[in-house]
Amino acid sequence: MPEQLWFTEILNHLFATPVTSLLRTLHIEPKYPAAPISNSFSMEVLVFAFLLVLFLLLRSRLSVDRPGALQHAFEGVEGFIQGQSEEIIGHHSEGYTAFLAVLALFILFCNLIGIVPGFESPTAVPIVPLGCAICAFIYYQSQGFKHGGISYLKHFLGPMPALAPLMLPIEIVSHLARVLSLTIRLFANMFAGDMVTLVFFSLVPIGFPIPFLGLHIGVSLLQTYIFVLLTTVYLQGAVSEEH
Amino acid sequence: MPAPDPTPDRESPGRKESFWVQAARYSQLAFILPAALVVGWLIGVALDRWLHTTWLYLAGILLGIVAGFIELIRTFLRDAK
Repeated sequence: MPEQLWFTEILNHLFATPVTSLLRTLHIEPKYPAAPISNSFSMEVLVFAFLLVLFLLLRSRLSVDRPGALQHAFEGVEGFIQGQSEEIIGHHSEGYTAFLAVLALFILFCNLIGIVPGFESPTAVPIVPLGCAICAFIYYQSQGFKHGGISYLKHFLGPMPALAPLMLPIEIVSHLARVLSLTIRLFANMFAGDMVTLVFFSLVPIGFPIPFLGLHIGVSLLQTYIFVLLTTVYLQGAVSEEH
Repeated sequence: MPAPDPTPDRESPGRKESFWVQAARYSQLAFILPAALVVGWLIGVALDRWLHTTWLYLAGILLGIVAGFIELIRTFLRDAK
Protein backbone atom coordinates (compact mmCIF):
# COMPACT_ATOMS: atom_id res chain seq x y z
CA MET A 1 0.00 0.00 0.00
CA PRO A 2 1.52 3.41 -0.93
CA GLU A 3 1.86 6.24 1.58
CA GLN A 4 -1.29 8.33 1.36
CA LEU A 5 -1.97 11.96 2.21
CA TRP A 6 -4.92 12.54 4.53
CA PHE A 7 -7.09 13.82 1.67
CA THR A 8 -6.23 10.79 -0.46
CA GLU A 9 -7.17 8.54 2.46
CA ILE A 10 -10.57 10.21 2.71
CA LEU A 11 -11.18 9.83 -1.04
CA ASN A 12 -10.08 6.19 -0.99
CA HIS A 13 -12.23 5.52 2.05
CA LEU A 14 -15.27 6.97 0.28
CA PHE A 15 -14.70 5.98 -3.36
CA ALA A 16 -12.26 3.04 -3.50
CA THR A 17 -14.94 0.45 -4.33
CA PRO A 18 -16.70 2.34 -7.15
CA VAL A 19 -13.37 3.55 -8.63
CA THR A 20 -11.94 0.00 -8.63
CA SER A 21 -15.16 -1.33 -10.24
CA LEU A 22 -15.01 1.42 -12.87
CA LEU A 23 -11.37 0.65 -13.69
CA ARG A 24 -12.12 -3.08 -13.93
CA THR A 25 -15.05 -2.32 -16.24
CA LEU A 26 -12.52 -0.53 -18.47
CA HIS A 27 -10.23 -3.62 -18.23
CA ILE A 28 -7.68 -1.75 -16.10
CA GLU A 29 -6.46 -3.60 -13.02
CA PRO A 30 -5.49 -1.07 -10.32
CA LYS A 31 -2.16 -1.71 -8.61
CA TYR A 32 -3.75 -1.29 -5.18
CA PRO A 33 -7.46 -2.22 -5.40
CA ALA A 34 -8.05 -1.01 -1.83
CA ALA A 35 -6.54 2.40 -2.66
CA PRO A 36 -6.89 3.07 -6.39
CA ILE A 37 -6.83 6.87 -6.01
CA SER A 38 -3.28 8.23 -6.03
CA ASN A 39 -2.00 11.29 -4.16
CA SER A 40 -1.52 13.22 -7.41
CA PHE A 41 -5.09 12.53 -8.51
CA SER A 42 -6.54 13.52 -5.15
CA MET A 43 -4.53 16.77 -5.23
CA GLU A 44 -5.89 17.48 -8.71
CA VAL A 45 -9.43 16.90 -7.44
CA LEU A 46 -8.75 19.26 -4.54
CA VAL A 47 -7.42 21.99 -6.85
CA PHE A 48 -10.38 21.49 -9.18
CA ALA A 49 -12.85 21.77 -6.27
CA PHE A 50 -11.02 24.83 -4.90
CA LEU A 51 -11.11 26.59 -8.27
CA LEU A 52 -14.79 25.69 -8.72
CA VAL A 53 -15.68 27.18 -5.32
CA LEU A 54 -13.53 30.24 -6.09
CA PHE A 55 -15.27 30.80 -9.44
CA LEU A 56 -18.74 30.33 -7.91
CA LEU A 57 -17.84 32.79 -5.15
CA LEU A 58 -16.55 35.24 -7.74
CA ARG A 59 -19.67 34.82 -9.89
CA SER A 60 -21.95 35.55 -6.93
CA ARG A 61 -20.03 38.74 -6.04
CA LEU A 62 -19.51 40.22 -9.52
CA SER A 63 -20.16 43.95 -9.48
CA VAL A 64 -19.51 46.67 -12.03
CA ASP A 65 -19.79 49.52 -9.51
CA ARG A 66 -17.97 48.03 -6.53
CA PRO A 67 -15.64 45.24 -7.62
CA GLY A 68 -14.10 43.38 -4.68
CA ALA A 69 -10.52 42.26 -4.17
CA LEU A 70 -11.20 38.81 -5.63
CA GLN A 71 -12.76 40.32 -8.75
CA HIS A 72 -9.81 42.69 -9.13
CA ALA A 73 -7.38 39.77 -8.84
CA PHE A 74 -9.17 37.67 -11.45
CA GLU A 75 -9.61 40.64 -13.76
CA GLY A 76 -5.87 41.17 -13.46
CA VAL A 77 -5.15 37.56 -14.43
CA GLU A 78 -7.63 37.68 -17.31
CA GLY A 79 -6.25 41.03 -18.53
CA PHE A 80 -2.66 39.79 -18.37
CA ILE A 81 -3.40 36.64 -20.39
CA GLN A 82 -5.58 38.59 -22.83
CA GLY A 83 -2.79 41.13 -23.40
CA GLN A 84 -0.20 38.42 -23.86
CA SER A 85 -2.29 36.42 -26.33
CA GLU A 86 -3.08 39.58 -28.29
CA GLU A 87 0.63 40.31 -28.49
CA ILE A 88 1.37 36.81 -29.80
CA ILE A 89 -1.74 35.78 -31.76
CA GLY A 90 -3.21 39.11 -32.83
CA HIS A 91 -6.64 40.74 -32.95
CA HIS A 92 -8.74 37.56 -32.91
CA SER A 93 -7.21 36.18 -29.70
CA GLU A 94 -10.17 36.89 -27.35
CA GLY A 95 -11.72 33.46 -27.93
CA TYR A 96 -8.69 31.67 -26.56
CA THR A 97 -8.38 33.62 -23.31
CA ALA A 98 -10.82 31.42 -21.33
CA PHE A 99 -8.90 28.22 -22.01
CA LEU A 100 -5.52 29.82 -21.40
CA ALA A 101 -6.66 31.47 -18.15
CA VAL A 102 -8.14 28.23 -16.78
CA LEU A 103 -5.03 26.29 -17.78
CA ALA A 104 -2.84 28.90 -16.07
CA LEU A 105 -4.87 28.91 -12.85
CA PHE A 106 -5.04 25.11 -12.70
CA ILE A 107 -1.28 24.70 -13.17
CA LEU A 108 -0.50 27.56 -10.79
CA PHE A 109 -2.61 26.13 -7.96
CA CYS A 110 -1.29 22.61 -8.66
CA ASN A 111 2.23 24.01 -8.31
CA LEU A 112 1.52 26.09 -5.21
CA ILE A 113 -0.46 23.49 -3.24
CA GLY A 114 2.86 21.75 -2.51
CA ILE A 115 3.93 24.46 -0.07
CA VAL A 116 0.89 23.83 2.16
CA PRO A 117 1.79 21.28 4.88
CA GLY A 118 -0.08 18.02 4.37
CA PHE A 119 -0.35 18.42 0.61
CA GLU A 120 2.01 17.86 -2.33
CA SER A 121 2.32 19.32 -5.82
CA PRO A 122 0.59 17.03 -8.34
CA THR A 123 2.72 18.61 -11.07
CA ALA A 124 5.78 16.94 -9.49
CA VAL A 125 4.41 13.64 -10.83
CA PRO A 126 4.96 13.27 -14.62
CA ILE A 127 1.44 12.11 -15.47
CA VAL A 128 -0.15 15.43 -14.41
CA PRO A 129 2.02 17.76 -16.57
CA LEU A 130 1.55 15.21 -19.37
CA GLY A 131 -2.23 15.52 -19.00
CA CYS A 132 -2.00 19.34 -19.11
CA ALA A 133 0.30 19.16 -22.17
CA ILE A 134 -2.07 16.77 -23.96
CA CYS A 135 -4.99 19.14 -23.21
CA ALA A 136 -2.96 22.03 -24.67
CA PHE A 137 -2.00 19.90 -27.69
CA ILE A 138 -5.61 18.82 -28.41
CA TYR A 139 -6.83 22.40 -27.94
CA TYR A 140 -4.37 24.06 -30.31
CA GLN A 141 -4.79 21.37 -32.95
CA SER A 142 -8.59 21.60 -32.76
CA GLN A 143 -8.43 25.40 -32.99
CA GLY A 144 -6.15 25.04 -36.00
CA PHE A 145 -8.73 22.83 -37.72
CA LYS A 146 -11.57 25.12 -36.63
CA HIS A 147 -9.78 28.20 -37.97
CA GLY A 148 -8.30 26.80 -41.17
CA GLY A 149 -10.55 23.85 -41.94
CA ILE A 150 -9.03 21.04 -43.97
CA SER A 151 -6.34 23.42 -45.27
CA TYR A 152 -4.82 23.33 -41.77
CA LEU A 153 -3.27 20.04 -42.87
CA LYS A 154 -1.00 22.09 -45.16
CA HIS A 155 0.88 23.06 -41.97
CA PHE A 156 2.12 19.47 -41.85
CA LEU A 157 3.08 19.13 -45.51
CA GLY A 158 5.88 21.67 -45.82
CA PRO A 159 6.30 24.44 -48.40
CA MET A 160 6.47 22.20 -51.52
CA PRO A 161 4.13 19.31 -52.51
CA ALA A 162 7.16 17.23 -53.59
CA LEU A 163 8.53 17.37 -50.04
CA ALA A 164 5.21 16.42 -48.41
CA PRO A 165 5.96 12.68 -47.85
CA LEU A 166 9.19 13.67 -46.10
CA MET A 167 7.77 16.60 -44.15
CA LEU A 168 4.67 14.83 -42.82
CA PRO A 169 6.47 12.41 -40.42
CA ILE A 170 8.92 15.17 -39.45
CA GLU A 171 6.08 17.55 -38.59
CA ILE A 172 4.21 14.86 -36.64
CA VAL A 173 7.32 14.12 -34.56
CA SER A 174 7.93 17.84 -34.14
CA HIS A 175 4.38 18.46 -32.83
CA LEU A 176 4.52 15.44 -30.49
CA ALA A 177 7.89 16.66 -29.22
CA ARG A 178 6.16 19.83 -28.04
CA VAL A 179 3.99 17.72 -25.71
CA LEU A 180 7.04 16.00 -24.27
CA SER A 181 8.92 19.29 -24.00
CA LEU A 182 6.06 20.96 -22.05
CA THR A 183 5.73 17.89 -19.81
CA ILE A 184 9.41 17.50 -18.93
CA ARG A 185 9.95 21.21 -18.28
CA LEU A 186 7.07 21.51 -15.81
CA PHE A 187 7.65 18.13 -14.13
CA ALA A 188 11.42 18.52 -13.75
CA ASN A 189 11.20 22.03 -12.31
CA MET A 190 8.46 21.19 -9.82
CA PHE A 191 10.09 17.92 -8.79
CA ALA A 192 13.44 19.65 -8.27
CA GLY A 193 11.75 22.49 -6.33
CA ASP A 194 9.99 20.01 -4.05
CA MET A 195 13.18 18.01 -3.47
CA VAL A 196 15.29 21.07 -2.63
CA THR A 197 12.69 22.30 -0.13
CA LEU A 198 12.34 18.81 1.38
CA VAL A 199 16.10 18.26 1.72
CA PHE A 200 16.72 21.59 3.45
CA PHE A 201 13.65 21.13 5.61
CA SER A 202 14.94 17.75 6.78
CA LEU A 203 18.42 19.20 7.49
CA VAL A 204 17.39 22.39 9.33
CA PRO A 205 13.64 22.42 9.97
CA ILE A 206 13.40 25.95 11.42
CA GLY A 207 13.96 29.15 9.45
CA PHE A 208 16.39 27.88 6.85
CA PRO A 209 13.81 26.39 4.42
CA ILE A 210 11.90 29.70 4.15
CA PRO A 211 14.07 31.10 1.28
CA PHE A 212 13.57 27.79 -0.53
CA LEU A 213 9.82 28.05 -0.08
CA GLY A 214 10.10 31.49 -1.69
CA LEU A 215 12.12 29.92 -4.48
CA HIS A 216 9.40 27.27 -4.89
CA ILE A 217 6.76 30.00 -5.25
CA GLY A 218 8.93 31.80 -7.83
CA VAL A 219 9.49 28.59 -9.82
CA SER A 220 5.75 27.82 -9.65
CA LEU A 221 4.84 31.23 -11.10
CA LEU A 222 7.57 31.10 -13.75
CA GLN A 223 6.73 27.58 -14.92
CA THR A 224 3.03 28.43 -15.13
CA TYR A 225 3.89 31.48 -17.21
CA ILE A 226 6.18 29.52 -19.55
CA PHE A 227 3.66 26.70 -20.00
CA VAL A 228 0.84 29.09 -20.92
CA LEU A 229 3.11 31.27 -23.05
CA LEU A 230 4.33 28.31 -25.10
CA THR A 231 0.75 27.05 -25.49
CA THR A 232 -0.12 30.52 -26.84
CA VAL A 233 2.85 30.38 -29.23
CA TYR A 234 1.72 26.94 -30.50
CA LEU A 235 -1.83 28.27 -30.81
CA GLN A 236 -0.53 31.20 -32.87
CA GLY A 237 1.29 28.75 -35.16
CA ALA A 238 -1.91 26.74 -35.61
CA VAL A 239 -4.28 29.63 -36.34
CA SER A 240 -1.94 31.84 -38.38
CA GLU A 241 -2.34 31.90 -42.14
CA GLU A 242 1.34 31.48 -42.96
CA HIS A 243 2.78 27.95 -43.15
CA MET B 1 -4.33 61.37 -44.39
CA PRO B 2 -5.69 58.35 -42.51
CA ALA B 3 -4.81 58.00 -38.84
CA PRO B 4 -2.31 55.24 -38.07
CA ASP B 5 -3.78 52.04 -36.64
CA PRO B 6 -3.08 52.12 -32.88
CA THR B 7 -3.03 48.31 -32.74
CA PRO B 8 -0.73 47.07 -35.49
CA ASP B 9 -1.47 43.72 -37.11
CA ARG B 10 0.37 41.13 -35.07
CA GLU B 11 0.49 38.66 -37.90
CA SER B 12 2.49 40.95 -40.12
CA PRO B 13 6.09 39.89 -40.65
CA GLY B 14 8.72 41.85 -38.81
CA ARG B 15 6.61 42.45 -35.70
CA LYS B 16 8.60 42.67 -32.48
CA GLU B 17 7.78 40.44 -29.56
CA SER B 18 8.42 41.35 -25.95
CA PHE B 19 11.52 40.12 -24.16
CA TRP B 20 9.53 37.54 -22.16
CA VAL B 21 7.90 36.00 -25.21
CA GLN B 22 11.27 35.69 -26.92
CA ALA B 23 12.83 34.29 -23.73
CA ALA B 24 10.11 31.62 -23.51
CA ARG B 25 10.53 30.77 -27.18
CA TYR B 26 14.27 30.32 -26.75
CA SER B 27 13.84 28.41 -23.49
CA GLN B 28 12.11 25.64 -25.42
CA LEU B 29 15.14 25.22 -27.68
CA ALA B 30 16.97 23.36 -24.91
CA PHE B 31 14.14 20.84 -24.69
CA ILE B 32 12.90 20.48 -28.24
CA LEU B 33 15.89 18.58 -29.69
CA PRO B 34 16.05 15.83 -27.02
CA ALA B 35 12.25 15.70 -26.87
CA ALA B 36 12.00 15.19 -30.64
CA LEU B 37 14.69 12.51 -30.46
CA VAL B 38 12.81 10.63 -27.70
CA VAL B 39 9.50 10.90 -29.55
CA GLY B 40 11.12 9.61 -32.76
CA TRP B 41 12.72 6.74 -30.84
CA LEU B 42 9.39 5.85 -29.14
CA ILE B 43 7.58 5.82 -32.49
CA GLY B 44 10.36 3.67 -33.97
CA VAL B 45 10.22 1.18 -31.07
CA ALA B 46 6.41 0.98 -31.36
CA LEU B 47 6.69 0.32 -35.10
CA ASP B 48 9.41 -2.29 -34.49
CA ARG B 49 7.13 -4.16 -32.10
CA TRP B 50 4.15 -3.87 -34.42
CA LEU B 51 5.94 -4.86 -37.64
CA HIS B 52 8.42 -7.30 -35.99
CA THR B 53 11.44 -5.43 -37.36
CA THR B 54 14.67 -4.44 -35.60
CA TRP B 55 15.84 -1.28 -37.35
CA LEU B 56 12.93 1.14 -37.34
CA TYR B 57 13.98 2.57 -33.97
CA LEU B 58 17.13 3.87 -35.67
CA ALA B 59 15.05 5.45 -38.42
CA GLY B 60 12.86 6.96 -35.67
CA ILE B 61 15.88 8.44 -33.89
CA LEU B 62 17.14 9.97 -37.15
CA LEU B 63 13.67 11.33 -37.87
CA GLY B 64 13.56 12.82 -34.37
CA ILE B 65 16.95 14.49 -34.80
CA VAL B 66 15.91 15.96 -38.16
CA ALA B 67 12.57 17.15 -36.72
CA GLY B 68 14.35 18.72 -33.73
CA PHE B 69 16.84 20.56 -35.95
CA ILE B 70 14.08 21.79 -38.26
CA GLU B 71 12.20 23.18 -35.25
CA LEU B 72 15.41 24.84 -34.02
CA ILE B 73 16.16 26.41 -37.41
CA ARG B 74 12.53 27.49 -37.80
CA THR B 75 12.60 29.27 -34.43
CA PHE B 76 15.83 31.10 -35.31
CA LEU B 77 14.58 32.07 -38.78
CA ARG B 78 11.27 33.35 -37.37
CA ASP B 79 13.09 35.91 -35.25
CA ALA B 80 15.68 36.69 -37.91
CA LYS B 81 12.98 37.86 -40.37
